[in-house]
This record gives sequence, structure tokens and C-alpha cells, in this order.
Amino acid sequence: MRTRNILPSGMILAIVIAAAFKFADAQTAPRQPDAKHGADIVAHGTAAGAPPCETCHSVNGNPDGSGTFPRLFALPAYYLAKQLTDYKAGTRTSDIMQPIAQMLSADDIADLAAFYAGANAPLPSLAAPDPALVAAGQQLAMVGNAAKAVPACNNCHGPGGTGLPPAIPALAGQFAPYAVSELQLWQRGIRKNDGGAQMSDLVQRLDERDIAAVAAYYQQVKSALPASAAPAK
Amino acid sequence: MTIAPSVLPETSDSAHSGDALAQAVTRPAAIHSQPITYIFFNLDEVEFIEAAVARLIPADDRWPGALEVGVTNYIDKQMGGAWGAGERLYRSGPWQAGTPSQGYQLPLTPAELFRTAIAAINKELAAKGTPFAAMTPANQDAYLKELETTDRDLGGVPAREFFAHLWEATVEGFFGDPVYGGNRDMIAWRMIGFPGAYASYYDVVDKHGIVIDRPPMSLAQDAMGHVHLDPNIPPKLP
Amino acid sequence: MAERLRPVDAVTIGVGMTGSILAKELAAAGLKVVGLERGAGRDTVPDFQSPAMHDELRFAIRKSLMMDTTRETMTVRANVDQTALPLRRISGFLPGTGLGGSMVHWNGQTWRFQIADFIYRTRMEERYGKTFLDPDLAIQDWGVTYDELEPHYDRFEYLCGISGKAGNLNGQLQPGGNPFEGWRSREYPTPPMKEAYCGALFRRAASELGYHPFPMPSANLSQPYTNPEGVSLHACVYCGFCERFGCEHYAKSSPQTIVMPVLLKNPNFELRTGCQVLRITLDNTGRKATGVVYTDAAGHEFEQPAELVLVTAFALNNVRLLLLSGIGKPYDPRTGEGVTGRNYSYQTVSGVDVFYDESVNINPFMASGALGTIIDDFAGDNFDHGPHGFIGGAFIGANMSHGRPIEFHPTPPGTPTWGQAWKDAVIRHYNHTVTLLAHGSSASTRGNYLDLDPTYRDAWGQPLLRMTFEFPENDIRMSAFVTDKMLQIGRAMGGKTVAGAPAKRPYNATIYQTTHNTGGAIMGADPRTSVVNRYLQCWDVPNVFVIGASAYPQNATYNPTGTLGALTYWVADALKTKYLRSPGPLVPT
Repeated sequence: MRTRNILPSGMILAIVIAAAFKFADAQTAPRQPDAKHGADIVAHGTAAGAPPCETCHSVNGNPDGSGTFPRLFALPAYYLAKQLTDYKAGTRTSDIMQPIAQMLSADDIADLAAFYAGANAPLPSLAAPDPALVAAGQQLAMVGNAAKAVPACNNCHGPGGTGLPPAIPALAGQFAPYAVSELQLWQRGIRKNDGGAQMSDLVQRLDERDIAAVAAYYQQVKSALPASAAPAK
Repeated sequence: MTIAPSVLPETSDSAHSGDALAQAVTRPAAIHSQPITYIFFNLDEVEFIEAAVARLIPADDRWPGALEVGVTNYIDKQMGGAWGAGERLYRSGPWQAGTPSQGYQLPLTPAELFRTAIAAINKELAAKGTPFAAMTPANQDAYLKELETTDRDLGGVPAREFFAHLWEATVEGFFGDPVYGGNRDMIAWRMIGFPGAYASYYDVVDKHGIVIDRPPMSLAQDAMGHVHLDPNIPPKLP
Repeated sequence: MAERLRPVDAVTIGVGMTGSILAKELAAAGLKVVGLERGAGRDTVPDFQSPAMHDELRFAIRKSLMMDTTRETMTVRANVDQTALPLRRISGFLPGTGLGGSMVHWNGQTWRFQIADFIYRTRMEERYGKTFLDPDLAIQDWGVTYDELEPHYDRFEYLCGISGKAGNLNGQLQPGGNPFEGWRSREYPTPPMKEAYCGALFRRAASELGYHPFPMPSANLSQPYTNPEGVSLHACVYCGFCERFGCEHYAKSSPQTIVMPVLLKNPNFELRTGCQVLRITLDNTGRKATGVVYTDAAGHEFEQPAELVLVTAFALNNVRLLLLSGIGKPYDPRTGEGVTGRNYSYQTVSGVDVFYDESVNINPFMASGALGTIIDDFAGDNFDHGPHGFIGGAFIGANMSHGRPIEFHPTPPGTPTWGQAWKDAVIRHYNHTVTLLAHGSSASTRGNYLDLDPTYRDAWGQPLLRMTFEFPENDIRMSAFVTDKMLQIGRAMGGKTVAGAPAKRPYNATIYQTTHNTGGAIMGADPRTSVVNRYLQCWDVPNVFVIGASAYPQNATYNPTGTLGALTYWVADALKTKYLRSPGPLVPT
């Protein structure tokens, strides 16, 4: 009898992809990601030349205080691995990330994803956002906008914006400057690595203030964060 | 009235048979300690319905059963609310028995039906000397089977009709969302592997045979297991 | 006493799929249109929200979006010798209520009928001879042809953004599509959905047996789409909450996601919700409708005069309104005379469960309402019925629309109905079972019909609709044949146990089968055997049009919505290009 393990939140899903027509293959175990190796890459980079991730993506997330680089910890491993794989393949573009991703092997990517998915740290303090902007963002996030036919962000990103593993990232606690920048990339068609074009399509209905509002709202939502990741005092 | 489940010790029923040993019959210990506050059923009704659902979906060494996950709490809240009072039930006469294809034709609301039938069952069994809850599991099963398969009169309710209502409500309470008071901790969903209220399988629907191995999600929760509260409702009264 | 309101050009009775499309077309053509909807107004935002929408108990079991049977229902019986009794709850079929109607909670399976379906009696008699048909059958030609409807099918599919793969483009067979389908003038607006595991398993087995699998045409969209009205839909996320639910993702075609935004912006249109239409009023000749009488949510009664009355409610309610209004002579099954209520038909469905071992994770909850892989080899006119002694057929496929466990917990034959063995079986099989469906035609007969119940009344004091229906022998034979084919496919799919049974008598109105109730106000070429002409215009009252599956003289193999969409545009076209220029009968009698 199969047992169902209840995994810690945000941890990688054990996924076994069966060849559709060969049942015997269905239970072939994949290589288990090595989070320790991931931690090593984060701190020291790789022999192939990838720089240490923590230069920009330290576990507490925000080395330069700008919020320009995304918070990665406690995001679903599948999602993180997909982004790195997409950078490597060029289906997600970035002058910074593409060359780095090309220096990562598939195993490196899996290990990094496992590390960040399981990592945990306090959030850095961020400037208090404009309450009116947050309120407007909350409306979009929790209800949507009927006039623009925009559904609530939480419909896909989960109640509280905590993400729905494996593919849908948490938005809660994400840095607003990064979120604004990404939404603009989606809007301009530069970022388009969503399978069903759900994001590419939706962001076209958002204006500048909508984007600022929803980013400001999610930055201050703390519900997704493990207790230990409360903002640093 | 508040009744704490898990009041009876877990014992083996293998050594016992017959109603004379009623004091020692197994009643699976609940794994939860939350008491159930019954708003509709009275004590006599509770004793029947707790014992009945414990046989309909029993506990075993791997998974709790209907009693342990709060199915009687679910049924109690349904019967005490709009559903019990006949929500969505066409209630105009004249009343007459129909064919099975024509569906339910009694004038009773669900609450009236449960109350009427359970009273008749308890009266009948009291006259015989052993209430349902005190029977051996085997005898309880035989009694329930009789309810399921005959039209014996239970105060105007055919036994088959009552059993159908009881079974339907039991399955609803077992597999429904925990916000309705049953399926505690989404145990029934964990048992079968149903992920609950998740929104999107876009990225995995074509990964055929994939093992979905994650905790289920209730309407009241987010995907990380936090109970989802409306931020507009302040945590304290002003 | 009803308060008389200011006259308008047109009124729609019901603002669901047909009402909203026609209102949009007529309002755009300059008519003042009032839409009367018995239920509440609702829209994707803010009424459909996740996760609240993913509530099996509230929506699928308690049927929160459906007709409120506290106030109105139908009575049912198998034949004229029985006493019809009210469906005190609805469960066998699920008419919706509220803005958008049943197209809010539908699954989205969007088919075209076959070329032969529209000339059914002619084609069957030509192919098999006049003595082949059971004398009991009342099948008729529609009075409209597939070729006439093709541009309207196309328009409806492009309104909805249907996801699929053409099998026949202007007569050229296309790989990957349904090779049996009628010609289509262009490809589907969006590509097929992803294929689910159950569909892949079915595809392999069906292909090995020499059949022709293809993806089910779906109104749950595979990708974002902006329709010709300028209304946009999003891509489906396969959440497994379609049928009986509203879609919070703007991913399922419904009036709200395809036409309502345009309609509601037009100042020529006025929406009134909570309005129960009691009857259509006629002038003293009985040949002209003067408007409708309705009560609002507070119980006040109004008379809404209108030049044109569009009956656009659910099929069964269309028929009931005609009967309540005295439009068309009521059908009498004893004499075969009369038309209103005639040829009520349904759908003949059966299922097969394929139980796998525990290494095969089907994940039935990753689903959508129209996510299916199908064969059409045994549908309608696609095979020779000569040796089999029946007409009609079924599409067969794996289109599991959900894995919601109150409803879905399959167990193999022989499993006890409750207790430990039941529980063990549910655990064992929940994620390792594929359910196949045969979705079959329903032939009309002399004995199946609709009329007003002599005894039971609704909350407004009006008679309920009475349904007299039993599966015809023809359809029982058909179901046995197609279910046998489905069992063969099931066995080829590699399951450990394969179980299923054909449709059987008696028809049980308490078990959900489909919401494809058709007929009762059927279209045709002869006023003696149809209520409406080929433009769905009442023969007797030419300023009343009755648009619904109530027009189908019999039901074909497929889900009726696609054909109803085509008929709706066909009617819109006739109204705009013919009727409004010269109001009066569009077909001479």
C-alpha cells in the first residue's frame, strides 16, 4: 500500500513521471536532489564558472536593500527549477541570469531548487508602503476587477498568495520592486514562460497603478511565511 | 450538549460475541480530542448515530472512520440548519408513494425524517433490551443491512429511505470539506489522495501517472496549511 | 393587478446563452430589448472566487447554482397510466438559474450534430428502408440542414473560442480530428486541450482496435482567446471544478465570458433579474403576442408589452411557458394530435469503469469538464445499423471531468455498499480507475411528451410541467450495442477489472444522467407536427420565437449546446435580415 507523506510546506514534490504507455516504468525513482550541494553553489558557485547565488539572492534575500532581486526561499522547487531551466534554454530572458544558468547542469539546478525551497530566514525590513496602494492591491489580489475581466490573483496563487505547488509561485512576501519589474516584463512580452499564457494574457489588462498596487500588497502579506521568517527587527 | 468522543477504551472485539457483552464491545477510539457540540441530536439520537456511522465507515489500523473524522458533527449541523429544514425541497402536496424512479415523496424534512426514524429504531431496540450502540459490531451490521434492504416501517419512514439518507449524509460528512464539520483534518482526502480545493493542475495534467504527494487543501486553508482568515475581520473586538 | 410598463421592441424570457446572444444582436440592430431573468445577476468577478468555488458539497451536491425546487419543479412518470409525482429535489438533470443560465455551470462539451441528424427520418428511411424503424418512433427531419447551419456553428464556436481539432475542413479529412464529422469551413479557434492520462490510455487502446480517437471539442479553453465581440477568455487550469460550478478563471465559455460585457454596455438593453415570467399574453385573435406578465423578486406583478417575444429559457421551461400561455395545441399521445409538448427526448448514456492496479495513478482530479479523448465510430450515421436493428448511436470516450470524492469513489462489482470492505475498496481504487462514457442519441417516440400537471403547482400557483418519459426499446438496443464496444475498449486499456452496463429501463429521474432535455417545442416543416418553423418562429403566433433545445425533434448523439448556439445565430440572422424588415410568418402555411 502506498503511503502518502505529508511534506513540509514548499518542499519539492516527489514527482515520478510515468511513460504514458509503459506502466512498468511508472515507479522508476528519479535522482534525489541534493540540497547540500545546492547550498554549496549558493555560497561558492560552481567549478564551471557560475558565481555564488548569494551575491544577489542571499537567503535573507535582499543584500543591497533594493528589493530588485527576488526572494527565492520557500518557493516551490519545481517552480525554481523551471525558471533556471527556462533561463538556460532562453525561454525566460535576462542578461544576468541567462549566462549563469548556462553554466549550471540539470543536477545543479535541481539541487539549487531543493536548497532554496527548503531554506528559511527572516525577511529584511522594507519601507512601509502607501496604505491606499496596498488596499487597491488587496482588491485585485482577493477579488479581481470585473470591469477589466481580471480574476483575483489568489484564484491561482492561492489564498493569501502563498502559491500552489508545484508550478505557481508564492507572491506573499515577494519584494515589490522585483514584482513590478517582472509584471512589466510579462506585459511587454519579454517574459512569457507560462505554459498556458495565463500570466501573459492577464497582465495586459493591468495598468501601471494596478501593477504597483498588487506588488505593494503582496510585499506586505506575511501569511505565507514560516514563523521564523518574520521581518527582521 | 457537548460530548467528548474517545471516551471508550479501544478493545478487541474478537473475544466477544452477543449483546450480553455489550459493555466491552469495540467502539474505535477517536484520534481527536475535540468535543462535538450537538445542536440538533439529543443524547438518545447521538448514541444511535455515532454507533451507526462507526459501522458504515469503520476505523481501522491505518485510517480513522466516519465517527473519528466528525461525520456525526457534520450531520448534526446539517439537520439543525437549512438543509434539515427542507432547503431546496419541494413541499407541496398531495403526498403519495411513487416508484423508485420518481424519488423521495415523503412530507418529512430531512430533520423530521432522521428524528422520526431514529426514535422508532431506539424504541424498537429498547423493547428488545439492547440499544443499537450496545450491540456487537456484527449485530450492528446485520441491523443496518436490514435497514438498507427492507421497507420496514420506522414511524412512517420506510427503513430503506432512512438508510439512504443516513448513508448519503455519512458520505458527505466523510468526503466533504472540513469547513462543514466533518472530514476532520482532511483525513478522508489524505486517505484516497484527493488534493481538495487546489486551483491549478495546468503544469502537471499532462505528466501522466505523476504522484501527487502533497497535503490536501481545505476551503479554509491556503496551500501551506495556514488557516485562511479574512484580513478585514479584526482579530479582536473593538 | 399587473402594472403595465412602457412597451419595448423585444423581450427575452431568460437571460442565459440564447437570450444573451439574441439580445445582443437585436440591441445592436437598434431594438429596445428587455431581458427578464428569474434568478440573480452574477459575474465571474466578484461572484466566482477560488477556493470558495471549489466546494463540492455546496455546488455539486446541494446544487447551489440550480433551479430552486422549493418554488418550482417538474413532475415525472414513465407512461400515461402512472400518476406523475413531483421531483421534490432535482438530481437527474440540472437546469440552472440566474444570469447566464445553465451555460454557467455546464461542462463545455461543444459538438456539432451530424449532417444526417438534421434529415434524420429521410436519411434513416433511405438507408435502411421504411420498415426498419420501430413504429413507435416519432423521429422527424428538422426543416433546416447542416449546410445551412454551418456558418452559424462556426460563428458560435468562434464566439466561445472552442478548443479542438478539425477532422474535416471543407471536405478534406484532417489528421488528428474526428474523421466522421460534418465539414467545417475552418479550423477550431483554439487548439485542443492537453490530454489527460485517462484520455491517453483510451487513445492507445482505441487506436489499437482500429478506431479513430480525437480530442473532445471544449469550451474550457486551451489558451487565451479574444472573440469577435472583443471579449477575452483565459486558459483553463484543469482544476476539476466545471460542471455544477462557475469558472473563476474566465476560462469556460459562458454568457459572462463571451457576450455579456458587450450586451450590458448597450443602452438599448435593460436587464431585469429576479423576474419570473408567468405567461406570454396574446391579443384577442390569439395570433399575436402582446408581451409578457411577470412578477419581480418582491412579488409585484408587471405587464411588459413587447412587439417581439423571445422564449429563451431552459428547454423544459420554454415548453411550459407555451403551455401556460396557450400557444400551440397541446400534444395528445393517445391521438397523436397536437404539437406543444410533442417529441420530448433526452440522452441515452452508459458508463464503464476500468480498474487498474495501484501503479497507475489516474489523478482524476486534474480535469476539466470537456477534457476528453473520444471516438465517433459508433455515433449516429457513422456505421451500418442494418445488422443491429436500431438507429442512433453514441460517442465513446474517456472524459473524466472531476475527482470530487463525495460523488466519485468508484468500486468494482461485488464491493459491499458500506463498511470496512467498501472503505478498503475506495482507498484501493480512487486514484486508479478510468471511467468511460457512451453518450448516446435519444429517439423521440409517440409516448414521450410534456404537458401541464393536473395536480401540482409552483410557488406562483401555476401548474408544473409534467414529463412522461421512458427509454424507447430502440435506444435500449442501441445502448447495449455501444456499451459492448465500450467494454471491449476498456478491456484493451489494460485494467484488472472492467465493469459496466448499458442503459436500462426504467428511466430513473433521481440519478444524474445528463441535463440534455430536448424537444417539446420542436421545429419542422409542417405545422401539424411542429410548434415552430425552421426559424424557430411559432407557427401559430409569428411574433413569438422559441429558442432552445426544445426545438430538437429528437436528440442526436452529442451534447446539445453547440447545435443550440448555431440555431441561435440562425435565428438572429433570420430576425435581422427577414423578420424585422417584414414582421410576419417567415414560412408560409
